[in-house]
Amino acid sequence: MEFDRRDFLKLSLTAGAASALSGAISVFDNDANAAANKEGFEPLPNINIGGIIRPPGALPEKEFRAKCISCGVCVNVCHTMKYDTLSIAGLSDLKNFGLPYVKDTRDFPCALCMECLKSCPTGALQPVKKEDVKMGMALIDLSICFGWNGDVCLSCSKACPMGATIFDFYNGEWGNQPMINDKCVGCGLCAKFCPLGGSAIKIITRDEYKKVKDNYLADFKKTMNMTNEERYNLVYGVNLPLIMSRGRIIEREYRD
Amino acid sequence: MSTETNVNNTPDEEPTCSNLSKNNKKGLLNWLKGHKLSTLRRFVLIAVVVFFLLQFLRVKIAVGSLTGSLAIWFVNLLDVFAYLESIFASKDFGLIALLSALPILVVYLIFGRSFCGWVCPMDYIFHVADRIRKCKIFDFKISPNYGYIIPLVFLAVSFAVGIPVFTNYFSHLTNFFRSLTGAYFFFMDLPVAVDVIIFSFAVIGFLIILELIFPRMWCRLICPVGRVYGLFNKVSRLKLMITDNDLCKGCKACDRACYMGVKVSDYVKNGDKIIRDSNCIFCGRCIEACNTKSKIIKMNLSLK
Repeated sequence: MEFDRRDFLKLSLTAGAASALSGAISVFDNDANAAANKEGFEPLPNINIGGIIRPPGALPEKEFRAKCISCGVCVNVCHTMKYDTLSIAGLSDLKNFGLPYVKDTRDFPCALCMECLKSCPTGALQPVKKEDVKMGMALIDLSICFGWNGDVCLSCSKACPMGATIFDFYNGEWGNQPMINDKCVGCGLCAKFCPLGGSAIKIITRDEYKKVKDNYLADFKKTMNMTNEERYNLVYGVNLPLIMSRGRIIEREYRD
Repeated sequence: MSTETNVNNTPDEEPTCSNLSKNNKKGLLNWLKGHKLSTLRRFVLIAVVVFFLLQFLRVKIAVGSLTGSLAIWFVNLLDVFAYLESIFASKDFGLIALLSALPILVVYLIFGRSFCGWVCPMDYIFHVADRIRKCKIFDFKISPNYGYIIPLVFLAVSFAVGIPVFTNYFSHLTNFFRSLTGAYFFFMDLPVAVDVIIFSFAVIGFLIILELIFPRMWCRLICPVGRVYGLFNKVSRLKLMITDNDLCKGCKACDRACYMGVKVSDYVKNGDKIIRDSNCIFCGRCIEACNTKSKIIKMNLSLK
């Protein structure tokens, strides 16, 4: 069979069109990563985010909505500072339309540069100190955290801009077990730099934290007070297979 | 003399679609000579938009949009109507917001409603839309005073709902810059919701369609931002002056040139020396259109 130039041209054009089409589809259809993400690669699947994570220094939700005029200064300032943390909310929640929020700190954490609240013209973001920011609260998923399952990771505490004031360490024979206390500002740098696929840290709102705090701390105490045998069964029987399955996500981008 | 012949509508010629759509092409240079103010106006507009586009290149000058922005360093600016809506919605005076709105207030106490003609990007978009439409007559019967209901309604709704409704959802300025930001973020693969882009472009598209059907109805009657700035026209330092009312031959070229529907010729006929009309946007088209040799309408800026 003869394969002349015309055929080659046809073939390459078809291939080009096909790849362009698949590329176009992938833009709308999201990528496989995001799909895998939705199938339980999130830390603490039982705990909701509980609302919207606002930029640092934001007023309480109701006042924030009343004051914010959707001018986009904070979003664009965040872009000029090269952090791109803030995003504009869509139409899914009509009351919230056009307002800035932190989409997913696993992709774009807040670096607490404090530029957005300085440049807010309406006062919807009030100027506060770094330490007083209350964007949210970071919770470590103890069942998939490396440090809680026999490893010495501590990536979260190294990434944390507040450092020693926020992290408590319970070092033992089951690893360097990190715990985040109430002073957390919720910037999400720890969630970004968690080496586990899908991250082992979830940022939730302060309101939601008040609700789930007791359960979460009870879980923590239960894990701490376990006997060696119970802990062995938990780590090797349940948690390590979980960690192994999540570790497969190498491309660490979670946005959809 | 070239400028005189550019505008050749004789007084008795009725303005119809056919004789107005005739374009007097006499070369770009002659056009520029006769339209110095229009040229300067477009230059200002493009400069402002370019400054706002620089934020996408991560330059921290003029970040945000024309409703609210970080002008430079620590100077924040806030549109006056957005400020009003914000304080109505939050029932709080808002010191930070007031500090941001003050520079704009001072600017408009001096320049009046010139924002609409010189800075607002919709003015240029509408101008382009006007070119698509064949008939260029801006005939519009409803009095602009009815338009004052609209900002009041929006303020009342904002007060009731607790959200700055107009600025947040329908504002042409917010949506213009939001669509730019959204499109840029989308193509740079940054976090942005697609419906934000679609909504913002849809609002701009709706306004263009409105412009094609009812020319300048948005600017003359509806736009609450312009309405509020129109109030400043009564006290602004920048004003239109008439140097010599007797020289007017009553050709009404100024009325036809004005796309905001200001009856300049009436002011001239009544013997007024100063034109203080809430719909005047200081575009200077009446000055350029005037058929008298010495151009009896003048733009005057006195700080006294």
